[in-house]
Amino acid sequence: MRTKYRLGVDAGGTFTDFVLAGDAGNVSLFKTLSTPEDPTKAIENGLSLMAEGLGLKQEEIISQCDLCINGTTVGLNALIQHKGAKTGLICTAGHEDSLEIRLGHKEDGYRYDAEYPPAQMLVPRYLRRGVRERVLSNGSVRTALVEEDVRAACTLFLEEGVEAVAISLLWSVLNPAHERRAAEIVREMMPGSFLTVGSELYPQVREYTRTSTAVTNAYLGPTLKRYVDSVDRYFADHGAKYPVRYFQSNGGLAIGGAMTDRSVYAINSGPASAPQAGLFVSDPFDQKNVITVDMGGTSFDITLTKDGNTNLNKNIDFLRYRIGVPMIQVETLGAGGGSIGWIDDMGLLQVGPQSAGADPGPVCYGQGGTEPTVTDANIVLGYVNPGALLGGRMQLNRDKAYAAIKQRVADPLEISVERAAYGIFTIVNNNMVNGIRRVSVERGFDPRDFVLVAAGGAGAAHITALAREMGIDSVLVPKLASGLCAFGQVISDVKYNYMASAPHRFEGDATFGQLNDLFAEIEEQGVAHLEADGFARADIDVRRSMDMRYVGQVHECTVDIGNFDITGETADQVKEAFHQRHEQLYTYSERHNAVEVVNIESTIYGRVEKPNPPHLGDGAGAAGALKSQRPMIFSNDGKAVDCPVYDGERLGAGDEVDGPAVIEEVTTTIVIEPHWQALLHESGSYVLRRKA
Amino acid sequence: MAKKVDPITLSVVRGVLETTQREMTVALENTARSSVFNLAHDYSNAIFNHVPEMIMQGQDIPIHLGSLIPAMKCVAGYFGDDIHPGDVLMHNDPAYMGSHMIDTCMYKPVFYKGELVFWAVCKGHLTDIGGPVPAGYNPDAKELYAEGLRIPPVKIFDKGVKRYDVMNMILTNLRARRDQEGDFNAQLGAVQVGERNLIALLDKYGLEEVRACIDELMGMADRQMRTLMKKVPDGTYSGTAIVEDAGHGLGDMEITATVTIEDDNCHIKIDSPPQVPYFINSYEGNSYSGVYLGVMMFAQLPPPYNEGLYRCVSVDMGPKGTLCNAKEPAPHMNCTTTPMETLTDAVRLAFEQAVPDLVSASWGHANGCNIAGWDTRHDEEYVTMVLASIISGAGATPQQDGWHACGPECCFGALTSGDVELLEYSYPIIIHRYSLMTDSGGAGKYRGGSGTCWEVEPIDKPMTFITFGEGRRIPAVGAAGAKSQMTEPKVGRIEISREDRVDLIKTNVIETINPGERAANMNPGGGGYGNPFERPVEKVLHDVKNQLVSIEGARQDYGVVIKDAEGLEIDRAATDSLRADLVAAQ
Repeated sequence: MRTKYRLGVDAGGTFTDFVLAGDAGNVSLFKTLSTPEDPTKAIENGLSLMAEGLGLKQEEIISQCDLCINGTTVGLNALIQHKGAKTGLICTAGHEDSLEIRLGHKEDGYRYDAEYPPAQMLVPRYLRRGVRERVLSNGSVRTALVEEDVRAACTLFLEEGVEAVAISLLWSVLNPAHERRAAEIVREMMPGSFLTVGSELYPQVREYTRTSTAVTNAYLGPTLKRYVDSVDRYFADHGAKYPVRYFQSNGGLAIGGAMTDRSVYAINSGPASAPQAGLFVSDPFDQKNVITVDMGGTSFDITLTKDGNTNLNKNIDFLRYRIGVPMIQVETLGAGGGSIGWIDDMGLLQVGPQSAGADPGPVCYGQGGTEPTVTDANIVLGYVNPGALLGGRMQLNRDKAYAAIKQRVADPLEISVERAAYGIFTIVNNNMVNGIRRVSVERGFDPRDFVLVAAGGAGAAHITALAREMGIDSVLVPKLASGLCAFGQVISDVKYNYMASAPHRFEGDATFGQLNDLFAEIEEQGVAHLEADGFARADIDVRRSMDMRYVGQVHECTVDIGNFDITGETADQVKEAFHQRHEQLYTYSERHNAVEVVNIESTIYGRVEKPNPPHLGDGAGAAGALKSQRPMIFSNDGKAVDCPVYDGERLGAGDEVDGPAVIEEVTTTIVIEPHWQALLHESGSYVLRRKA
Repeated sequence: MAKKVDPITLSVVRGVLETTQREMTVALENTARSSVFNLAHDYSNAIFNHVPEMIMQGQDIPIHLGSLIPAMKCVAGYFGDDIHPGDVLMHNDPAYMGSHMIDTCMYKPVFYKGELVFWAVCKGHLTDIGGPVPAGYNPDAKELYAEGLRIPPVKIFDKGVKRYDVMNMILTNLRARRDQEGDFNAQLGAVQVGERNLIALLDKYGLEEVRACIDELMGMADRQMRTLMKKVPDGTYSGTAIVEDAGHGLGDMEITATVTIEDDNCHIKIDSPPQVPYFINSYEGNSYSGVYLGVMMFAQLPPPYNEGLYRCVSVDMGPKGTLCNAKEPAPHMNCTTTPMETLTDAVRLAFEQAVPDLVSASWGHANGCNIAGWDTRHDEEYVTMVLASIISGAGATPQQDGWHACGPECCFGALTSGDVELLEYSYPIIIHRYSLMTDSGGAGKYRGGSGTCWEVEPIDKPMTFITFGEGRRIPAVGAAGAKSQMTEPKVGRIEISREDRVDLIKTNVIETINPGERAANMNPGGGGYGNPFERPVEKVLHDVKNQLVSIEGARQDYGVVIKDAEGLEIDRAATDSLRADLVAAQ
């Protein structure tokens, strides 16, 4: 029988969001300040707030949840602050330094910067121990494992107080025997340590990526374990009937044990739920091409979903560490409501990436901030009502915002404050547009084929301007925009990625047979894992993909192949899909050339029943929701026009608002530029369209 | 300063130019076939205005971008009025301001309402350019003609029509035609992306306003550099660096840069010996890269990067027929590393004379290899430049230790070396070692970055192993008084291990390596900064613990005495007295 609630808890940099979805499609959103030093605190605080708001006890809510989901920044923070475990690496002798060589590259943008430091090593050189052994590129053993080298490494690690060990040997993806034996020795000599084995975590070709991924996993494992244990305990103590699920950077859920063993999947979990939420709110409009933009206090996160499939990143540098495992591609910019407008050495106006954060926050918060932010500009432009933030619980000071923009931006540039404010607005939008181009144009997608979904507290103020700049004609702003990621988590499935390395030219029945066997092998593990989680076989879904390329190429592209076996016949379909994907990405294909497979992957889903969508009652026309009029600025000349302000709480399904206008919701403000129109849909989203 | 342009539009235009350059780069990298493009980033993109002046320089390989400034002018001048919408020009010849012939450039004029307004330009290192030796580097060449196909400025598209005859003529002369053709397509894609974005920019803001913004961006770069030059005391400063004899038998050669600062202007005069019949002559275009990189090692300015940076810099490259201003038919293929890096060092050293506190140390020079042979797995020939073999250490800066494994100097961190497993998958080789090297970073208060060792063994069939570069006798030059005592581990070298012996090689050679034998290509570390005896002992100990510095290296290079090799304990008294002696001896 269905239980009553589903709970999502999403920890962000400034706020932790709580979403409670009831079975009747009712959704409530609560926010509490994040507590990065002890993240479980914020969970306790938020749950108390929620219990109070609903007039229930925490136990009543938790025990009636079939799913409690947590998106956490614990892994991310440990990586940013370098507060992970003391970690040792066991690797092939002669290759101890690939982590530090980093392919010999210095990041773009810092080439002539004499003060840009090298990336901090997660394992110092003296704890990266080479062992004599060698497997070759065809999987054969050239040199047998010298076990005493592994023992010597463990002895050193024990002396040095190492808590976590990563093992990553060359070509272990083709022949894992040496890694497995080394792991046995580590388990025997260091039974209390956290162990990550490269070929188990990330069995794909590319030694540097695999080693770096394994090291990051080991580095974060103990920290994640402590966190997960404490959250699991809290929920268990408060009557949870089911294990807490954690949200992963791959866009799916995992139980605590999996989150610990595969801690590297936790590093960007929060924003990775945006695509699910975007698809959910777009579903009533039959839209499967979605770009989500989430603008909060300090950052702007972008994701792209095409035909229901979300852009994934594999093998990227995340916070300067190479990570192989698939992560939802989230393009993050330092562009939020708190981003600071400033004049650089050459007299150019810049916005961000520095942010006033939550403390002191924008100047208009009156908490001591002196540097003008995007929020300050939005107040001067009339977009944000100084008295309407958080339902009137927070008063903003327009005069202070005005003075700060005058002093820091307008006077140095010798322009009016209104023009300066519009300049801050324009430049932060321009930065965001360039970010959207990176997930769309650079991935071979035309942004005009997508619907834009606004999320985050600040997103809705910029959304029509962004759409205008991109040439996008249709935008969705859910009433829930400010907590969209937490909502995305409660509608996600459990998701595990299983991989194998399979470097073969894609031809011949023998190869096809081998690939099918490999798929079957990794899927068996995945299905067993989900069944152990309590999923019935009927609720488990498998999706296969292969990384393919033309012979002689270096970069692969990933081809989704559903879940069928490869035969002479289906192989032609797979090749065709590859050619088409290549064209989409790179504008051309080479149908006459041989194709090869590098890696294969199966994604195993445990399907979770989705909550019902909300259903709003019909409205009686927007006029009844008109609150006031106020002047707003919509052009570079700084001239203001008088615009109507509507109360979103009083609008109903079918109500229409013509721009220029503003709709104020409790946690967000929607700015509708001239030539745009908003229509509130019964599913709880505003549809913004450019008028012909 | 008169403010002519709208400051908001100016910021937007700058953002669009940067995005355009980036999208050109992405287009090129995603579509290219050769690993030199794909894995190694050995290409660069730039945007020029109608003049043509470089208005947007990416952060790509320094050696490419400096030389593009004169090359663009030369190629545009060659065609004069005969440039039309739909044209695409191509060129590689050093006699027309190219760098080395294997770097091939594509230039697309961008027209707007019938007027030539911009050029989108892409330059990249091909895997082959014809000639007698695969991959282009021929240490035996006595003339340019023995190094590959010279391409003077030609049109490969004429008013939108592809010149199949010209392309066929070029491709017919190159090895691995399929890859070269793919790479040319990739370059074409890049300049087309550039054109598309630039036109969109003009549609939005109009030509007049965009031009005014670009002029202002160039003015900013100009003002930045002039402000810096003004801080340098007026006077004449000179720096001399040595080009090692890398096997030609002509002995060491000196390159001297004389820098004269007058108010906010800088004049640089280069003196170099007569050109030689060996592949290390640098034609004028390539030498500009060397000089400009030397200036930037001093200036270390933030973007925007454009030709405005160099308005206050005038250069006299010396008489035609010299090493740094070569004339036909001097052979030149090695010029982008040797003598370019030495030329950069000479300029840097001259600035160090003027402002010792501001200039970073030299980086390790390139000492690399190309490999070729037969792949029995696919029954086909293979040939490639091994970028992993030239990854040297970066020089220390006035603020911090040099980066490990970030060089060579001519690439300044822009290269990537490629994954060990991908290389073993692509070629029939075993890479036994790819590691940092103990004691390779130059000693200093701030230590130079470590160089790397790349050791290879062929599988099944013998491998041809061709070496290039130098930096095998003189370590990377330190700055602000940095000097190493233990020099041997800091220089580049090649060790070839055969059944009964190890050969140490410090010249450019073509060797055959058989299965069971190994060649180890070792790259120099970067130079240090400041007096090594002032380096805190804790930092030295930290380096010893991580085997970046040996116990003997700590003693010789830093005057730090470690008494307990097991526990790594510092003998404070012995260290103090040794350091006092060493300082006295300085």
